[in-house]
Amino acid sequence: MEPVLEIKNLCKKYENFELKNVTFSLPKGMIMGFIGENGAGKTTTIKAILDIIQSYTGEIKVFGLDNRKEEKTIKEDIGVVLDDMFFPEILTPNDINFSMKSVYKNWDSNKFYEYLKEFSLLPNKQIKTFSKGMRKKLEIATALSHHPKLLILDEPTSGLDPVARAEVIEIFQNIIEKEECSILLSSHITTDLEHIADYITFINNGEIVFSKTTNELLDNYGIVKCTEKEFKDMNKKDYIKYKKSKYEYEVLIPDKKEFKTKYHISIIDKITLDDLMVLMIKGEK
Amino acid sequence: MIGFIKKDLAMIQSNFKLLAVLIVVYAIMGFMNKMDISFILPFLCVMIMISTFSYDHYNHWDAYSISLPNGRKNSVKSKYITTILMTLIVSIITIMLSFIISYVNTQTIFYEQILVTMFGTIFGTLLVLTIMYPIIYKFGVEKARIGIFLLVFGIIIIGSFLANFVNLANILESFAFLEDYFLIILIIVAIIMVSVSYKISVAIFCKKEF
Repeated sequence: MEPVLEIKNLCKKYENFELKNVTFSLPKGMIMGFIGENGAGKTTTIKAILDIIQSYTGEIKVFGLDNRKEEKTIKEDIGVVLDDMFFPEILTPNDINFSMKSVYKNWDSNKFYEYLKEFSLLPNKQIKTFSKGMRKKLEIATALSHHPKLLILDEPTSGLDPVARAEVIEIFQNIIEKEECSILLSSHITTDLEHIADYITFINNGEIVFSKTTNELLDNYGIVKCTEKEFKDMNKKDYIKYKKSKYEYEVLIPDKKEFKTKYHISIIDKITLDDLMVLMIKGEK
Repeated sequence: MIGFIKKDLAMIQSNFKLLAVLIVVYAIMGFMNKMDISFILPFLCVMIMISTFSYDHYNHWDAYSISLPNGRKNSVKSKYITTILMTLIVSIITIMLSFIISYVNTQTIFYEQILVTMFGTIFGTLLVLTIMYPIIYKFGVEKARIGIFLLVFGIIIIGSFLANFVNLANILESFAFLEDYFLIILIIVAIIMVSVSYKISVAIFCKKEF
């Protein structure tokens, strides 16, 4: 399947942090969860895609086009929700519509007002009067109203209370059903992604650890909880990381089926993205 | 770019009520011969334009704007065009008001005097903004406020230092032959000033990372 987003060997150096050869691709029509702890490099990668940061090396292609050379063409078809970056808060949704009509060729005012109605947002109220959840909904409405082919959402649920988070996730689920766009959704709240993402790309300390389908991850990966003796009998090649707690070992394994054929440990827990992230970051090899 | 200008105008619009009240207050003071309004309104224009930068900065609009088509170029261009637009609108309002005040107070309209003062004021307004914008794009609006204060302070210090050694009247006299071309020179200098400032701001903003 042809990718809508292709990143190859993306490198960017800061004083205390570095993106190291970030490489992954998002196939057309798919939803990719981009996970990693705070400060792992998710936002930096997204900023590079959108040209918000510039002095990086590597290749970024969106819709098969170079993201810098064809910047205007590409951005006509991208919708973004960025963490804490938006229109000034003294403006109203009406003002956003007034401006965006002249920013995007495909801006659809009817659609924008439909979303406002759906999200119960008053068009003539200043953004500063909105709650965090309402604000996020407005950002989503703005990102969707020019019929984007690619949606880039950076931490869209961060800082929201559980109710607002559930609402925002529900909105995404509806979008996925209704719209035909590919989505790159970064989040450190991985439970948000388990049910909606087709692919999971995990970044840690500026490096991509893996980029796999969600099914592949959740079906194959597992957690073995075992005694010290059982752990010591394991071959290092058969597990990825482990964590030692007071009474047991938690061992992350890449292939449940294969593991079962090799060892007589019958209880292998299903993995969640949260477990996976914690073990990958905090676990030992 | 028009979308970006619309966004700036929408921001300014939210200050329209305040601006309208101030225009009325200053006009009344003008009618009462208490104040020369010619520099007050353009000065307000400067304040309003700078406040748009503050709002932009507070909500990280600059970074968001880059995610929009042609964002880097349009962001700066729209600011300059909105500034020129606002300066012209406010100046036209001021000129009209000054004509009315002059007529009501003296039954005469001092066209030449009012226009010369206004062109001087427009020039001054643009001078301040063209110096400030590249500083704002480079260092942010908060640091730029300190920067402009230091700049003005520096100019005053250097000016008063030079005044001890140079006879300003003599210099002005030696340029007296340019008097007939005053307006044209002012316009040309203003265009050069704005163009250079714009180029510097674009160069800064195009390299800026957020």
